[in-house]
Amino acid sequence: MATQHSRAAARLMISPSVILLLGWMLIPLGLTLYFSFLRYNLLMPGANPFVGWENYSYFLSDPAFKAAIVNTLLLVVGVLVITVVGGTLLAILLDQAMWGQGIVRILVIAPFFVMPTVSALVWKNMFMNPVNGLFAHLAKFLGLPPFDFFAAAPLASIIGIVSWQWLPFATLILLTAMQSLDSERLEAAEMDGAGPLSRFWYMVLPHLSRAITVVILIQTIFLLSVFAEILVTTNGGPGNASTNLTYLVYAESLLRFDVGTGSAGGVVAIILANIVAIFLMRMIGKNLDA
Amino acid sequence: MTNTTRALLGATALSVVAMAASAQDTTLTIATVNNGDMIRMQGLTENFTSENPGIAIEWVTLEENVLRQRVTQDIATNGGQFDVMTIGTYEVPIWAAQDWLLPLDNMPAEWDQADFLPAIASGLTADDKLFAAPFYGESSMVMYRKDLMEAAGMEMPDEPTWDEIKAAAEAMTDEENEVYGICLRGKAGWGENMAFLTAMSNSYGARWFDEEWNAQFDSDAWKNTLTDYLELMNTYGPPGASSNGFNENLALFQQGKCGMWIDATVAASFVTNPDDSNVADQVGFALAPDNGLGKRGNWLWAWTLGIPAGTDAPEEAKKFVAWATSKGYTELVASEEGWANVPPGTRTSLYENQEYLDAAPFAEMTLASINAADPKNPTVDPVPYTGVQFVAIPEFQGIATAVGQQFAAALAGQISAEEALANAQNLTQREIDRAGYGE
Amino acid sequence: MARAITPQRKALNTAIAWTFGIMIFFPILWTVLTSFKTEAQAIADPPVFLFFNWTTENYTTVLERSNYFRHFWNSVVISVGSTVLGLIIAVPAAWAMAFVPGKRTKDVLMWMLSTKMLPPVGVLVPIYLIFRDIGLLDTKTGLVIVLTLINLPIIVWMLYTYFKEIPVDILEAARMDGASLRNEVTYVLLPMAVPGIASTMLLNIILAWNEAFWTLNLTAAKAAPLTAFIASYSSPEGLFYAKLSAASTMAIAPILIMGWFSQKQLVRGLTFGAVK
Repeated sequence: MATQHSRAAARLMISPSVILLLGWMLIPLGLTLYFSFLRYNLLMPGANPFVGWENYSYFLSDPAFKAAIVNTLLLVVGVLVITVVGGTLLAILLDQAMWGQGIVRILVIAPFFVMPTVSALVWKNMFMNPVNGLFAHLAKFLGLPPFDFFAAAPLASIIGIVSWQWLPFATLILLTAMQSLDSERLEAAEMDGAGPLSRFWYMVLPHLSRAITVVILIQTIFLLSVFAEILVTTNGGPGNASTNLTYLVYAESLLRFDVGTGSAGGVVAIILANIVAIFLMRMIGKNLDA
Repeated sequence: MTNTTRALLGATALSVVAMAASAQDTTLTIATVNNGDMIRMQGLTENFTSENPGIAIEWVTLEENVLRQRVTQDIATNGGQFDVMTIGTYEVPIWAAQDWLLPLDNMPAEWDQADFLPAIASGLTADDKLFAAPFYGESSMVMYRKDLMEAAGMEMPDEPTWDEIKAAAEAMTDEENEVYGICLRGKAGWGENMAFLTAMSNSYGARWFDEEWNAQFDSDAWKNTLTDYLELMNTYGPPGASSNGFNENLALFQQGKCGMWIDATVAASFVTNPDDSNVADQVGFALAPDNGLGKRGNWLWAWTLGIPAGTDAPEEAKKFVAWATSKGYTELVASEEGWANVPPGTRTSLYENQEYLDAAPFAEMTLASINAADPKNPTVDPVPYTGVQFVAIPEFQGIATAVGQQFAAALAGQISAEEALANAQNLTQREIDRAGYGE
Repeated sequence: MARAITPQRKALNTAIAWTFGIMIFFPILWTVLTSFKTEAQAIADPPVFLFFNWTTENYTTVLERSNYFRHFWNSVVISVGSTVLGLIIAVPAAWAMAFVPGKRTKDVLMWMLSTKMLPPVGVLVPIYLIFRDIGLLDTKTGLVIVLTLINLPIIVWMLYTYFKEIPVDILEAARMDGASLRNEVTYVLLPMAVPGIASTMLLNIILAWNEAFWTLNLTAAKAAPLTAFIASYSSPEGLFYAKLSAASTMAIAPILIMGWFSQKQLVRGLTFGAVK
């Protein structure tokens, strides 16, 4: 049905978005690329000489770099696993008949509305603090020694906080998908003697697969650049235990004000993010049939 | 200056002019840190604006780390967003050397520049010109619980040694009742654990660099500093010490959970304030400890008000700085909030004021601590840098934060002291070589 | 649900669901409760839950210290403005992609999403310099532009998946009946597209409201939204849990309330074409 004419119109309609995004991508990216080949520290103004690949070799040989890659992946995968599994279970739970369904749903999605900075501050100070936090009081009540979250398990603690923020999103989308599941077919399967597990595995899960794909895709985009939560809670430490790539780039460009190395780090981060993206598309893209 | 920079500056000037023209009053945008004394200043703004009609004030109050990043970024790019910036003694000499700050000349006579404490003012002066006005100054000292010391049958000397501190920590620790002998900073950051550890290392005879800018973390002095610190904290410290900064320790001390706390002298007014502190009437003060090597483990810091060279209202900004750091301001705070709450540590006259000395039991020890610090000559062995708990070079914040992460990891038990020191040595040398010092 | 369910089963479901719901919501509840305590009660050991002297002192302090309403208004303008601007640009694009898909449509979409992977910290300095030169620092206009651009890919994608769900047959039927393009859009497509547009709008207002990197770094006094307001309450010297809680409550309350009221709308549109 697409005529020559409508194709031209379509192109015209798409072009503002494409042009704007292209500009948004190319201008900063171009400048970042340019800066990444200069010795350019904001704190030491003067000539910014061309230094070739020096910034790259410096960034890549940073002992924190390897740790940052591993932490970035652990953070993304960890949060994805928790939110997808938790979201699926919550979606199934919220899909059951109960009293006050609307209110429970509101309670569950509420964390999504909280600013990342606020949620990190609240978790750090009021829950995970080993002396004044609620978890410490709880441990004391149970006669256990308080657990020192950000020293003993910094990355896991951050994964926990981030998961809390993204669980509602996963739940929402999966719940919407659940509600479109044909309950009569489920009942029929139950009549035929299919247990709850096999019903879940053979009927519910395939039905949710598309929604799960969406959750993974959208969340990965946001999770790759988790930053505020780390800045507020651990500052990437202790050591490099919770430094992710975004945080490392931040340390270079806004803590050391080394714009050259920071830009090189930014370029590296973009390349790695796109590798992840390509993998992601390969793995789950077919599920989207976009 | 290249053509591009010139064009950029032109564009900035234009936009600044446009902004100024659109407002009737001159608006001063003041960036400040969210510490108690600054919040108080913010509350007293009206006093300034009523005396100076035609000047309006916009406050940008931010948490310390955010503020530091925000103002540095703005001044280094000549962004022109702020007319007065709250900065520390670390930034002032570095920024002044870049001509980023306006010198505070032609200030009113009653401002009495000579009254500023020499220890504080010397760090803010270059070529005999003051580049920022101290708003409050601090050193560090020992704050301890008199009742716990008494119960342990001990007495805290005015000038303790590290061994005496250790003995006191051991005597006061009572983990059953959640009383920890000593609370120290453990949270990574150049202004957090590294401020404390660098000051401590000075008293151990350690230094960051030798005169040829070789990193010194492989020295015995640093090894002793770090092992003693770790031993103190692991044996007598509170849980979670590796994420405790100033605030966390303050809360612990106010709740009565610390026997001793070695930290900023400004904390004295918080821990002795009965509204917030459970132990207000039981706090004693002593100088920071030493090891008999001639240097004590105390630091020197001041929050100051500086005027960025890119401001469009230098005269108005000077008026404000003169107001906020004047003797009159001190009296204003005293009349509104009481003498104990005036910004401390900047003026000689304050420590000669009997009303202040009566209201602030910590005043004497604060002054003694400030005078015991010597930023021009901070270490036992000679060094090529100035600064007590920092090294006044631009690279320091980055390096010290990374080193601080290593030491925090050692405190959290993830790596050994030896590993932490070896890592610190490597990363410091790597950065300093790259920056081209010692060449 | 069509199935008959025993009351016991329903009670059990209710109990489990409420337990989880309250657990997930608890941190927010605790923050709100803490905001009504004094600083000393906020760190009391053992913690006090409901039985303390409720005080609104923290709110008074926060209102005295900060120009909350200006921050609030900036947040509203920036989040709504960037979302509306984003929709104006994105609706035609998503429309064209959904109804006149070409060979490259999928690639273009994926490319758009990949622009979101640009780490903001890496490009702050270039953007700051550009903004300085065109006078956009500390302006709401500047923030609207940035937030529009960073959320545009999500907006396009959400709308696209939603538009794709609109059955093409109806369009063709309308066309057969001789509807003009304009009528086609006004009477057939728009009513079907509205829920999707509405939920896209809601989601993006939330994302823009919570964006804390650009909004903090590109503003000073005039255009600073609530994220900057929060940055003045996190970890000052002295006790701060209660004041932080009050400020946090004030920062998240507007968006939370909006989210709650529009919850149904949000759920309806957040399908991303997941319903098949």
